Amino acid sequence: MAKHKAFVKKEKCLACGGCISVCPQDAILMISSKAIVDNELCNSCSICVKTCPIGAIIWEGT
Amino acid sequence: MHYDAVIVGSGPAGSMTARFAAEAGAKVLILERRAEVGVPVLCGEGVSQKVDSFKVLEGKRWIATKMKGARIFSPNGTTVTLAAEYAGDETGYVVYRDIFDQELARGALKKGAEIMLNTRAVDLLKKNGKIKGVTAQHFDETLEIEADVVVGADGVESRVGRWAGIKTTLKPYDLETCVQYTMTNIDWDSPYCDFFLGKHVAPGGYIWVFPKGRDVANVGIGVLASLSEAGKAKQYLDKFIAAQPALKKGESLRIITGADPVAEPIQSVTDNLILVGDAARQVDPITGGGLMHSIEAGRYAGETIGNAVEKQRFDTQTLSEYETRWKNAFGKKLHRNYVVKEIMLDMEDKTLDMLADSLKDYKFEEFSTLSIIKALVTKHPSLLVKLTPLMKLARA
Ligand SMILES: Cc1cc2nc3c(=O)[nH]c(=O)nc-3n(C[C@H](O)[C@H](O)[C@H](O)COP(=O)(O)OP(=O)(O)OC[C@H]3O[C@@H](n4cnc5c(N)ncnc54)[C@H](O)[C@@H]3O)c2cc1C
Ligand code: SF4
Ligand code: SF4
Repeated sequence: MAKHKAFVKKEKCLACGGCISVCPQDAILMISSKAIVDNELCNSCSICVKTCPIGAIIWEGT
Repeated sequence: MHYDAVIVGSGPAGSMTARFAAEAGAKVLILERRAEVGVPVLCGEGVSQKVDSFKVLEGKRWIATKMKGARIFSPNGTTVTLAAEYAGDETGYVVYRDIFDQELARGALKKGAEIMLNTRAVDLLKKNGKIKGVTAQHFDETLEIEADVVVGADGVESRVGRWAGIKTTLKPYDLETCVQYTMTNIDWDSPYCDFFLGKHVAPGGYIWVFPKGRDVANVGIGVLASLSEAGKAKQYLDKFIAAQPALKKGESLRIITGADPVAEPIQSVTDNLILVGDAARQVDPITGGGLMHSIEAGRYAGETIGNAVEKQRFDTQTLSEYETRWKNAFGKKLHRNYVVKEIMLDMEDKTLDMLADSLKDYKFEEFSTLSIIKALVTKHPSLLVKLTPLMKLARA
């Protein structure tokens, strides 16, 4: 089964950019004040999930 | 559209760069993806009174409170009090960061800089491998903006540096992940900026209370991302507030998240490109304070751009004037404090308590690393071993 990808819950994200600054794949962008993960680039390393101070990043489909 | 310099980001680093470049006669444009400069505020809003010496802020509207100093609380509550002049770059004024940033931007615009809001830089414009400007998204339009120098003043995310091939990705070990409430209905009338340390308070970071006048304060936390889990920073902060009688009945006017790089600085110059402020990781690795460095480095960047325009040379060598100047001004301090950060991360709560106990009555008149170490070791000789790396630094 394919690994889950990181997913930003838009309604929670407060746009600090922390996840973007630590993503080793450069897979996250800030668009209109919300972080958005590019599924193609995400390698499921979980760094962004652990970094988000308010837990706005979850695993897609979970 | 052709400019001498296009500056990505209208934070303190970008506005200072723009101001001093414009003052030196350069034609500059600031791009800001937000719809309002400085909003939302992503900051504890503490800054040293040294900011006055730059003479870049008019009036007093940006000041919320003037602070007497800082108090540092060790894990067992032992308090070390520092007068403002010894308390680092985050203590002096607590400011309204939105007004602060807007005043800095206004200063740049008055000197002739231009700004475009709602405009997100999306890539570098390159010709034959050479940086020629940026492409940007402005509402529905895609713009190509040509410039001899591109300035990445785009904060902690720093895409501009990455586009130029500079390694800007932070290790979780080098990032404080933050949450802050601006609270009211609190019983906190203090002339001090307070810092609370401890593994159970804020792993690898600290909690701060920065008063913004009677009955309002910024109460925030930074946790080292490598020691954090999803949502942990907020949980630690909520726990702290619930245990403080003076805060627990408070209400919040604002909640923010934040990301503060506590890294070693990176390469800040390449052909036709400069990185300034958080984008260049010019943040104090111990306190996480970055405003003063952004302001100072922005000035050097702007003046360097002015000189480059005069010579019409924009290669690494010409732009290196900027890197040399900021490194001379505070590069050593950043490196030293990065080493101290690593030493502190290794310390047990018990050691922090001993440190605080040794310093609690220390009169910070002779403020040198060596004299402090002497005071420490006299009271708690066992600290000697733990502080050996620090002593080496003090001698270096
Ligand atoms: C929670 C927290 C508390 C802090 N507290 C303090 C403190 O009390 N004292 C202190 O001195 N420092 C503090 N800092 C650090 C301080 O906030 C930063 O050092 C400072 O903001 C850096 O300024 P800057 O101009 O480099 O970046 P920023 O102020 O982050 O500005 C970057 C700007 O670039 C814009 N931008 C980014 N990407 C693009 C793009 N692609 N296109 C267009 N625009 C773009 C952003 O919208 C933003 O306006 C704190 C940081 C955090 C996270
Ligand atoms: S770390 Fe969390 S709050 Fe910050 S930008 Fe990423 S998802 Fe949003
Ligand atoms: S899981 Fe890893 S690769 Fe995927 S977006 Fe998060 S930090 Fe990037």
